[in-house]
Amino acid sequence: MPSHPLRVAVVCSSNQNRSMEAHNILSKRGFDVRSFGTGTHVKLPGPAPDKPNVYDFKTTYEQMYSDLVRKDKELYTQNGILHMLERNKRIKTRPERFQSCKDQFDLVITCEERVYDQVLEELNSREQETYQPVHVINVDIQDNHEEATLGAFLICELCQCIQHTDDMENEIDELLQEFEEKSSRPFLHTVCFY
Amino acid sequence: MASGSERTGVASQFFAGTEDAAIDMTTSEKVVDLLNQAAFMSTDDKLIALKQVQELIINKDPSLLDNFLDEMIAFQTDKSIEVRKFVIGFIEEACKRDSELLLKLIANLNMLLKDESVNVVKKAILTLTHLYKVALQVRASSLNTIAVCGEACWDMVTQMKGDVLALLDSDNDGVRTHAIKFTEALIITLSARTPSSEIPKKQEGDISLDKIPKDHSYIRYDVLAEEGKSALEQLLKFMVHPAISSINLTTALGSLATLARQRPMFMSEVVQAYETLHANLPPTLAKSQVSSVRKNLKLHLVAVLRHPSSLDYHSQISTLLLDLGMAQGDIARCVPTSAPTRKRPRHEPYNEGKRIKMEPTLIEDDEDKEEPAPVVAPKPSSSMGTQSAIDITAEFLLPLLSPENVANLVLISMVYLPDIMPASFQATYTPVESAGTEAQIKHLARLMATQMTAAGLGPGLEQCRGRDEEGKEAEGEAAGDEAASKDPIIIRKVSAVSLGQAISVVGAYKSQVAEETPHAKKLPEPIMPSAQPKVLGSSGRKKVFRLADVVQPLSDSHLEKLTNMAVKRILQSEKAIARSGMSHVRVKLLARLMTQFEGTMKDDMLRFILEDIRGRSDLAFSLLYQEYNQHLDQLPSGSLDSYEHCLFTLLSGLQERPEQRDGLFTKLVLEAPLITQSALEVIRRYCEDESRVYLGMTTLKELILKRPSRQFQYLHVLLDLSSHEKEKVRSTALTFIKRMYEKDHLRDYIEKFALNYMQLLVHPNPPSLLFGVGEDTEVASPWTEETVRQCLYLYLSLLPLNHRLVHELAAVYTEAIADIKRSVLRVIEQPIRGMGMNSPDLLLLVENCPKGAETLVTRCLHILTDKVPPSPDLVERVRDLYHKRVPDVRFLIPVINGLEKKEVIQALPKLIKLNPIVVKEVFNRLLGTQHSEGSSSMSPLTPGELLIALHNIDSTKCDMKSIIKATNLCFGEKNVYTSEVLAVVMQQLMEQNPLPMLLMRTVIQSLTMYPRLGGFVMNVLSRLILKQVWKYPKVWEGFVKCCQRTKPQSYSVLLQLPPSQLAGVFERCPEMREPLLQHVRSFTPHQQAHIPSSIMAILEVNSRMQESQPEPEHMDTMEEREQVSVPIAQVEIPGPAITAPEPAPPVTLTQQEEDEEPMEEGDAGAERLEIATEATAQVEELEDEARATPVPLEKADEPVEEAFTDSASPREQAQEAAEDSNAEPEPGAEAAE
Repeated sequence: MPSHPLRVAVVCSSNQNRSMEAHNILSKRGFDVRSFGTGTHVKLPGPAPDKPNVYDFKTTYEQMYSDLVRKDKELYTQNGILHMLERNKRIKTRPERFQSCKDQFDLVITCEERVYDQVLEELNSREQETYQPVHVINVDIQDNHEEATLGAFLICELCQCIQHTDDMENEIDELLQEFEEKSSRPFLHTVCFY
Repeated sequence: MASGSERTGVASQFFAGTEDAAIDMTTSEKVVDLLNQAAFMSTDDKLIALKQVQELIINKDPSLLDNFLDEMIAFQTDKSIEVRKFVIGFIEEACKRDSELLLKLIANLNMLLKDESVNVVKKAILTLTHLYKVALQVRASSLNTIAVCGEACWDMVTQMKGDVLALLDSDNDGVRTHAIKFTEALIITLSARTPSSEIPKKQEGDISLDKIPKDHSYIRYDVLAEEGKSALEQLLKFMVHPAISSINLTTALGSLATLARQRPMFMSEVVQAYETLHANLPPTLAKSQVSSVRKNLKLHLVAVLRHPSSLDYHSQISTLLLDLGMAQGDIARCVPTSAPTRKRPRHEPYNEGKRIKMEPTLIEDDEDKEEPAPVVAPKPSSSMGTQSAIDITAEFLLPLLSPENVANLVLISMVYLPDIMPASFQATYTPVESAGTEAQIKHLARLMATQMTAAGLGPGLEQCRGRDEEGKEAEGEAAGDEAASKDPIIIRKVSAVSLGQAISVVGAYKSQVAEETPHAKKLPEPIMPSAQPKVLGSSGRKKVFRLADVVQPLSDSHLEKLTNMAVKRILQSEKAIARSGMSHVRVKLLARLMTQFEGTMKDDMLRFILEDIRGRSDLAFSLLYQEYNQHLDQLPSGSLDSYEHCLFTLLSGLQERPEQRDGLFTKLVLEAPLITQSALEVIRRYCEDESRVYLGMTTLKELILKRPSRQFQYLHVLLDLSSHEKEKVRSTALTFIKRMYEKDHLRDYIEKFALNYMQLLVHPNPPSLLFGVGEDTEVASPWTEETVRQCLYLYLSLLPLNHRLVHELAAVYTEAIADIKRSVLRVIEQPIRGMGMNSPDLLLLVENCPKGAETLVTRCLHILTDKVPPSPDLVERVRDLYHKRVPDVRFLIPVINGLEKKEVIQALPKLIKLNPIVVKEVFNRLLGTQHSEGSSSMSPLTPGELLIALHNIDSTKCDMKSIIKATNLCFGEKNVYTSEVLAVVMQQLMEQNPLPMLLMRTVIQSLTMYPRLGGFVMNVLSRLILKQVWKYPKVWEGFVKCCQRTKPQSYSVLLQLPPSQLAGVFERCPEMREPLLQHVRSFTPHQQAHIPSSIMAILEVNSRMQESQPEPEHMDTMEEREQVSVPIAQVEIPGPAITAPEPAPPVTLTQQEEDEEPMEEGDAGAERLEIATEATAQVEELEDEARATPVPLEKADEPVEEAFTDSASPREQAQEAAEDSNAEPEPGAEAAE
C-alpha cells in the first residue's frame, strides 16, 4: 500500500454533476480528493437544450442556486438541478477549473474522453518541473444523475483498489484490465509528469 | 514573530540575513529539539518534525545546514519508507541550496538508490534527475582545489547515471517509468541547447552541454555528449521492445516529444521512432491501451508539429496524424507560420561542437545513428555535411588499409600507448571478432575517418567545407567568438592535443590519463550515522580490498548485544513480514537461530511465543522440531535438556494460561516428537485442573493410543489420576480407563494396576504412595475412609466390566483390618449391583465364600436382593452355603423370599433372636412391606401363616421374649394384619391342640387393635371354655384378663364357666363378682332360672361376705367404672402413643425408650447378652466384624449405617416402640410369673 494517501482529482466538464458526485463519495470514503471542470464555462441545463444556463467558474454554487430559484424554481426542482447544487455547496463553495489548479495529484480521473483530452493537453503543455508522475484515467460517464451515481461508485471502487495496491505504478495496468473486464467499459489511461 | 514567518522561504531568508545571534540560537536550539524528538516519534509526527527542520535549516537559516546535515541524513536508515523518501527530498533541497553539499551527499543518495523499497528507489531516481544537473554544474564551475573531491563525486554520479539507465530493464513498471524520465532529462542535459530549442522558463538556468566549454580543463565535453547520445539510443531501443508496457510507452512518447522540442537536433530520431511505433504497436497492449497510446501519440505529434524545427518532417508527421484520425484542417492549424529558412542554420553550432568533441574519442562506432534518414529528409540537412565528410574520408581510407599498412600503423602507435591501460579503455574494450573481414575493414576505415574528420583532416572534410561555407558563416563565427572570448588559451592547447591524436588514436589518451593518475580516484562515501574512519587513498589507485583491514573483532559483550538485538528485530518484525507473505522464512530463520544460542534468548523467544501462542504456534512448532533435530544430530551423546526445556516451557505456558478452547495444548502434545518426563508432569497437571480435565485426558488418551512405544508410561499417569482426590478428575479418569480397558493390550496393565492398588489394603497402615510423593506421612497414620476408597476406585469401576475380579476383592477382604472391611462394605454397593445376581463369578463367590469373607458375601447378598427378589440360582447357592458350610442364619435373610415355607419356619426361631432391626427387616421381607413400590416378591408365607408359625415356635428353641417381640412386629403392620387376617389366625390357633401359649395375648391385642372384633372374641372365649382353657395356666390367665377387659360383654362368657373356674376368676379379680351378680339379678326370673345354683352360690357367697359395704356407694363406683371401662382398657397401657396411632414425634420415641428401660431392665440385659451369645454361637471370626461391619447385627449401634434405614424411618420406629409398649402389660405379667 502506498504509504501516503492517494491524492485524487476527479474531473468532468462543469464540475457539477459527475465529478461532484464522485467527489462526494470519495471524500466520504476518506480519500484526499478534489474535483474540477475543464470547460471554459460552467453550464447547467436551461429551459431548452439550446438555452443552457452559463456561469463562469467564479460563480459560487450558492449564487447559481439562487439564480435558478429565481428563474424557475419548479423546473429546476423537478429536474434535480437544485438538489444537485444543494449537495455541491455542502462540499465546496464554487466549481474549480482544472486548468487553473497547479496542485499536484497522484491520480486524475476524468469522466469523458473530451475531458481526458483536455486534461492531457493541459498537463503536457505545462513545463515539467519535478517529473512527478500523475496517472490519468478516463471513465466514461453519461451526464445524468443516475449514471453519475453509478459512475461515482465505479470510480470509488477503482480508487480503493488502487489505494490498496502495494506498488501502484507497478500494478495499475493489470488492475485497470481487470476493471475493464468487470465493468465492460474501456478505460483510457496514461501517465503525465509535473 | 519568527514562528509566523518561518514557513516562507523569502521571509526567512530575510530574517537570516538581518536577525541577530539570538535568533540563530533559537533556531539552532529548535532544530536540536526537533531532531531529538523526531528520533522517537511515530512516522507521521517524525515527518512533520523533519519537515520543520528542513525548513529551518534550508530556508530560514542555511548556515545551520552544514551543522545538522549528518543528523538529518541519519534518518535515511529509518524503517519508514516515507521518512527515507523525505531524506531523499531533503538531499535534493540541500544540494539545490548549496551545491557543494552534493559532494557529501551523493553517496547517501547512491545508497538510497539501492533501497529495498521501490518507492524509495523511485524517489531517488527523481532526485537524481535533478541533482545530475547540479552535479554537472558543480563539476563545471568548481575550482581546481576541490577538483579532486569533485572528481570522485562526479564519478559516482556517472556510475549512478549508469545504474539508473540500467533500471530501464527493471522489473518494476514504476521504476522503469522514472528511469525513462531520468533518461529524458539526462539527454537534455547532455546535449547542447540551440536557438531553436524550446526552453521551459523554469529550466532556463539549468545547465546543459552548451554551457560547458568544449575545452573545459577537465570536463570532457565530447564524452558527455556521447553519453547523452548513448542514453538516447537506449531510450529508443527501449521503445521498440515488443513487450513494453503501455505506461512506459506513453512515458517514452512524451519524453521523445520533449526531446524533439527542446533539442531539435534529435527531431529526426524522434519522428522516426514515432513512425516505427505507429507501424508496429506492441502486440501485448490491450485494446483500450492501444487507444490510450494512439491518443498520446497524436498529442505528442501535434506538439512536435508545432515546433518550428519539425518543418523538415511535416509530411511524415502529417501522414501519421491523418492515420491517427486527425483532420487535415486541424493539422494545418498546428503548423507554425514562422519561416523555416531562418531556422535551418541554427543546427550549425551543434554540428560544429560535435566535430570538435569527436577528437579524443577512442571508439566512435555509432556515427551512423546520427544520420537523419535520407528518405525522411529529402532536403539535404546540414548534418549531412559531416556525415558526408566522414563517408568520403572512409571511402578514401578503405583501399589503403592493407595488412601491411595496418601493421605499420599498429607498430607506430605502440610508441604512444600509455604505461597503464586506461580504465575507460578497459571498460569499453571488446575483442575484435571479425578481424580482416571486409566488414571489419570498412568499420575500421570509418572509425579512422571519424577521427580524421573530427581532427579536421582528410579529403572528405575539405570537400564538404566548400559546400557548407555559406550557411556556416553567420552562426559559426558567433560560436567561434563565444569560445574564443571564454578561453582562447585552452582552445589552442586542445588543438595541439588533437594534432597528436591525429597521428595516434590510442595515444590520444596518454596525456589525459597521465593527468588523472595522481589523483585519488576514490568514490565519495556516504555519510554514516556512526562516524566511520575515512580511509584516504593516497598513493595506490585502487586498494585491494581485504576485510580484515576494515573490520575489528567486536567485544564479546558487544557481540552478544548485537546478536540479541538482531534476533529481537526479527522477532518484532512479525507483522511487516506477514504482510509480505514471507512469514515461513522468518519462522524457519528464528527456529534455526534460536537453537544455536544458549541463555536468555531462548527464554525471551518462548515468552514472545506465549504472548500470543495462537498466532505464533507455527513458530512454536518450528522451534520445537528444530530443538529435537538438534538433539538427534548430537546422538548418542546429546542431551535432551534443551528440547525438554522448550517443550516444558511451552506446555507450562499453555497450562497456566486461562482456558482457551483452541486445542493448542493437545496439538502441541500430540505433535511433539517426544514427550519427556517433565512434559508428562505438565500434562498431568493439566489433567488435574478441573476445568480442563476432559481435554487433558482426551489428550492423554490420544497419547496412549497413538504412541505405543511409551503407552504404559502415559497410561500410568492416567491410572494414577484415577485415585485423585478431586472427584471430577477421578471420575473422568475412570471413564477414560474403562474405555481403554476394552483394548486387549492395555487390559492387563490396567488390571494389574488396579489389583496392586487394592492390594495395598492389606497393609496395616496406608503406604505413603497414597499421599503422593513427598508427603511422608506413612508413619502410623491410620487408614481412613478416604484412603481406603482411594485404593478401590479403579478396581470398583473395573469390577462391573470384569466380574472375575471379585475374587481378588474377597481375598484382600479376608486379610484386611476391621476398619478397612467396613469401608469396603460401604463402597461396593454400586459395582455389585452393577454385576447383578446372575453373574457367575458372584455366584461362585457365594458358593465358595472364603473364610473371613462372610460379611462381604452377606453384604453382597443384601445389595443384590435389596430391590429385586432373589433368583433361584442365588437361593440355591445360599442354601448350600448355609447348610453345608457356614450355618449362619443371616445368610438366609436376603434370600428368604426364595426359600420354601418349611425352611422359613425352620429358621424363624433363629431369625427372631437377631437384633430387633434385623428382625424387622426379615419381617419386612416376609410381609412384603419392604419395598415402597409394593411387593413384587412372593413371600413363601402369608402373613397369617407367619403369625401362626410364630405362635408355634418351640419355646425351648427360642425365648418367649423374642417371640413376643416378633409378634409385635406383626401387629405393627396394621395394613397387613387386618381384622380379617387376625380373626383367621385366632380361629386357627384356637383349634390347635395344645393351645399355643401366646394365644390369649394375641386375642387381647387383636381386640385392642380392632374393638369391633369383640363379638368374635366372645365367641372365641366361649369355645375356649369348651376346650377347658383353664388347663393351660398362661392361656387361662390371659382368658381372665380378657374377660376383665371385655366386661360387661364377657359376663355371659363368665357365666358359662364351671363354678370352680368361676370361683378361680373371682379369686384373681374379686371386683368382678359384684358386677356379675348385678348382671344376673337384672335377668328376668326366667333367665335367672337357667343359672345353676352352684354358680349363683359362688356369686352370692361372695356378695354376702361383702354385704357390709354400702351398696349404693358401691354401685356408684361400679357404674362409674363401667362408663369408663373402654378408656380404662387403654389407659392401663402406659404411654400416650396408644391413643394416638398417628406417628409420634421422635421426642416421644426417646422418651418412651427411656420409659421402657426400667420396665424392661431384664429384657434389655437379656438382649445384650443374647447378642453376645449369638455372636459367639456363630462363627467366631465374625465377632470382630460384627462390631466393625455394618452387618445388620450392629445396626443399632451405628445409626450412620445406611443399609436398612429405608425400613427404619423414625416414623416406623416410633410406631414400633409404641406397639412394644402397647403390649407391655402382658409380658410384664408373664415375666412376673
